[in-house]
Amino acid sequence: MTLPLKSLKSCFPIFSHRPELVYLDSAATSQKPQSVVRAITDFYEKENANVHRGLYELSTHATQRYEAVRNKVTSLIGASNPKTIAFTKGATESINIIAHGYLKKNLKKGDNVLISVMEHHSNLIPWQQVCEETGATLEVIPVNEDGELVLKKLNTQLNQRTRLVAITHISNVLGAINPVEEIIAAAHKKNIPVLIDGAQSVGHYPIEIKKWDADFLVFSAHKMFGPLGTGVLYCKEEFAAQISPLNYGGGGIKNVELSNTVFLDYPHNLEAGTANIAGVIGLGAAIDFIQQLDMNETTRYTGELSTYFLEGLRSLGNGRRVGNPKNSGSIISFQIGSIHPHDVAGFLASSNIAVRAGHHCAQPLLESMGVPATVRVSFSIYNTRDDVYKTIAALVELKKFWS
Amino acid sequence: MKDDLKKLYSAIIKEHSATPFHFEKPGKVKNTIKAYNPICGDRFEVYIGSDERMVNALYFHGYGCAISKASTSILVKTLEGKSRKEALELCDQFLRFINKELGSNEVMLSDDFLAFSGVHDFPERYDCVLLSWREMKRFLESGAVATKTRRH
Repeated sequence: MTLPLKSLKSCFPIFSHRPELVYLDSAATSQKPQSVVRAITDFYEKENANVHRGLYELSTHATQRYEAVRNKVTSLIGASNPKTIAFTKGATESINIIAHGYLKKNLKKGDNVLISVMEHHSNLIPWQQVCEETGATLEVIPVNEDGELVLKKLNTQLNQRTRLVAITHISNVLGAINPVEEIIAAAHKKNIPVLIDGAQSVGHYPIEIKKWDADFLVFSAHKMFGPLGTGVLYCKEEFAAQISPLNYGGGGIKNVELSNTVFLDYPHNLEAGTANIAGVIGLGAAIDFIQQLDMNETTRYTGELSTYFLEGLRSLGNGRRVGNPKNSGSIISFQIGSIHPHDVAGFLASSNIAVRAGHHCAQPLLESMGVPATVRVSFSIYNTRDDVYKTIAALVELKKFWS
Repeated sequence: MKDDLKKLYSAIIKEHSATPFHFEKPGKVKNTIKAYNPICGDRFEVYIGSDERMVNALYFHGYGCAISKASTSILVKTLEGKSRKEALELCDQFLRFINKELGSNEVMLSDDFLAFSGVHDFPERYDCVLLSWREMKRFLESGAVATKTRRH
């Protein structure tokens, strides 16, 4: 069954509690549908038990529900084997696992890691730090003034000493959708593995991890209608045995002696300590919700809202989009004349319009675009044309106030 | 437009953000205070050409929202020509006034200071108001003016 787009706002309880809220900050975290909130409270109310531990029915049931979410994730991202899916705290932890639990031991002085200048700090700092620790260097794909990756020199940037490429699928600042398949193909010609940061895309755009042939994919549940504190690391089978855990503790082991521990295989070796079981079950409910939607329809819908917003921005006269990527999602960064983004966001906030202002955890990108900060709106399925209209009307008032 | 927002962006604040006081880098600088908010990227440098006892030749430059820019402009205008002791006392009073530790009738505040009372309805903007003041207070407390001056 496909949910009709018109009724989607009513699936999200926050809007019945706060009917005046215009929420345009879904790139920071999405709102949660009733079904996700219900799945989490149901678990705590009716099914709470630890997983992989008890021999009683409640624990077995919790284990089954937890493990079933691996299958759901597998299907969502177009993978084929649930054993490729590890549960983490979020995209950031997933990246850190690859940086410290895989890459660092393969990285030597003179090697390099290739990222792009548009990465979120979470897909930059972990690589920067392991490079610093090992004497390797960070190579960076630049962007043009439209905010698109400049791939002219990709083949030179991918060289014999490149040990990993880490690229975002969709920019959290500019909305640019990157040609990840092309980048993966170029890297694979030189046997270089590729990590894709899907934080802004998974759950919103079709992901075909097998077809793309990506080696690693990371994302967070909370940006795709799921709960906070839960994320995923997808790791292709051939790398699974090479990933060491970042955390050690209860679980994740085959046998422990005082002098030695034998660990479980990936993904269970990464999940030491009591898992965020309710979080994973909430992620499962988010995937169920997403799979009731027609993704082509939802991307067309949020794309239309973006276009409508950009028309309004242009009509202001002093509105300027930062970057103008040809292939763009539903994230837009902009400026209004010389008014500081915080003054814009504060003004909108007083009309119950939630937007983000600042550098959006992507300082190098903003520096390369020549702007210290932007205002960012990001549209999701629960937004409406009325939300856009109210925002543009508030921006018109803002302009009057500062003129 | 809501009244609380009008109060936040009072005429004094709008004026100071549009035409900030001593908004340039002077030729001679003895000390530079860096006020930076990593959350939003606001960044000001306050330049001081003071002697041992006085806070003189204050200028500033940088980038920030209307509130942080106006607040830094008023800092420069207010502290210019004050003794270190007076400047420290004013910084302290301003910080305590914004943090609601002192009411407006408990402190000797100018109209420029009171213009910021609107921020009390917007606690998320406290950092904007206090950005340069906190750094100036830290600088004055460190005694760097006196130390540096002695060296020169």
